[in-house]
Amino acid sequence: MACWLTGCGSNVVLEPPTIPVPLTDKIPASVGLRMPEEFDHFVHEEEIIGREQWSIDLGRSNASLFEQLFGYMFEKVTILRADDDPQQFAMDALIEPSIEAFEFSVPNQSKTEAFAVWIRYRIRVFDDEGDLVANWPVSAYGKSETESVSGTQALQRAAVLAMRDAAALMIMKLDDATGISKIAQAKLAMSDSGAASQAEEIEHATE
Amino acid sequence: MRPSNQHLKIAVCILAGIAASGCVTSRVEDARVSETGIAAGEAVVVMAKSYHLGNETEEKYIRCVEKALTNGKNGLRVIPHRSFVDSLFPWFEPRTAPSETKHLPKLMANPGVLERIAEQKVRYLIWLDGDTERVAGGGSLSCAAGPGGGGCFGFAWWQNDADYQASVWDLDELESAGTVTTDVSGTSFLPALVIPIPLIARPQTKACKALAGQLQQFIGSDEATDSAADGADDTA
Repeated sequence: MACWLTGCGSNVVLEPPTIPVPLTDKIPASVGLRMPEEFDHFVHEEEIIGREQWSIDLGRSNASLFEQLFGYMFEKVTILRADDDPQQFAMDALIEPSIEAFEFSVPNQSKTEAFAVWIRYRIRVFDDEGDLVANWPVSAYGKSETESVSGTQALQRAAVLAMRDAAALMIMKLDDATGISKIAQAKLAMSDSGAASQAEEIEHATE
Repeated sequence: MRPSNQHLKIAVCILAGIAASGCVTSRVEDARVSETGIAAGEAVVVMAKSYHLGNETEEKYIRCVEKALTNGKNGLRVIPHRSFVDSLFPWFEPRTAPSETKHLPKLMANPGVLERIAEQKVRYLIWLDGDTERVAGGGSLSCAAGPGGGGCFGFAWWQNDADYQASVWDLDELESAGTVTTDVSGTSFLPALVIPIPLIARPQTKACKALAGQLQQFIGSDEATDSAADGADDTA
């Protein structure tokens, strides 16, 4: 009765997820990672009309996800603050992830016993000149059945599974989708040829 | 005449005994493709087929099968699915897990995968597919309460079907060893004459135990009968 009059709801707080060390080779590139402020404190609220209100506080889960993931994926990662100038850092590419959409469904809506979470990230990659070279959407999904009355643990688990899903997709496809290793190779080849021509010039000069 | 306390206790005990189960029918079958067998120390992992492919197998069902497989004289060593998935991240995530045995050689070629599976001595992967759902129901039950007391009157029933399939993959041979299926149908009743008397059927629990028992025999035995199906019917 109280729920009917006032509307039931739950506040779910997510602890930063732990992403296991992936069994993959690192991408031979040095990247900068600049995250938006919302990655340090992201709250999503959803009202199921006439039924209940849900709020999920992801805290710094998104920041933690990308720090861990890119640390595992690349040979070198430099975390940049919002006001840092990327030109001041030696790197092959700058990666700026953002969160475009976050949605979830509760058992009342899906007519199942499961909570589901959808997250859409966008990954923007800039070369060392500051030009946008890739703009890649990453859509992830997680689902977990409720085994308690409140369902908060199931929603937390669904959110963590969605983040792991995003991590798995990025590990498998990020390099193909953004060409970061090619950028790093091209930069390395350019610096090698530059060094070679400089050496030739010095050799001619000494002759 | 009011019933004595002793009569009341007996009545409650009888009702509790009846309430322990409804009507359940079950069928378990296996279809063997290749020889099986498991050495001491070797383990199995029970996984759900990906929900990205629409599978709805419940987490609690997986845990039930994991636990039931370890029981009895034919008990198997079971690696919990979550720790197995973590140890092989990202290769067994719902998005990336192999859906057919023909994908196994490519998967094993990835750095560290073969070694990590060998470290844990995982011989068989058991992929579960299926779920438990309510397929029918009916009747009506109404309850009322007043100053002089309350009570219920009516009759309700519902039928749940638990249909699961386990595909067994042999990680030594990188091929399918066969499948075990279980179909359990359970009808629960709730008659009420003042006091509701629940006669609850638990088809999911029955399906868990039946599947695990058959899997123990399937994996432990080395009888090779091409495409043979052994079936067993049971009604409780």
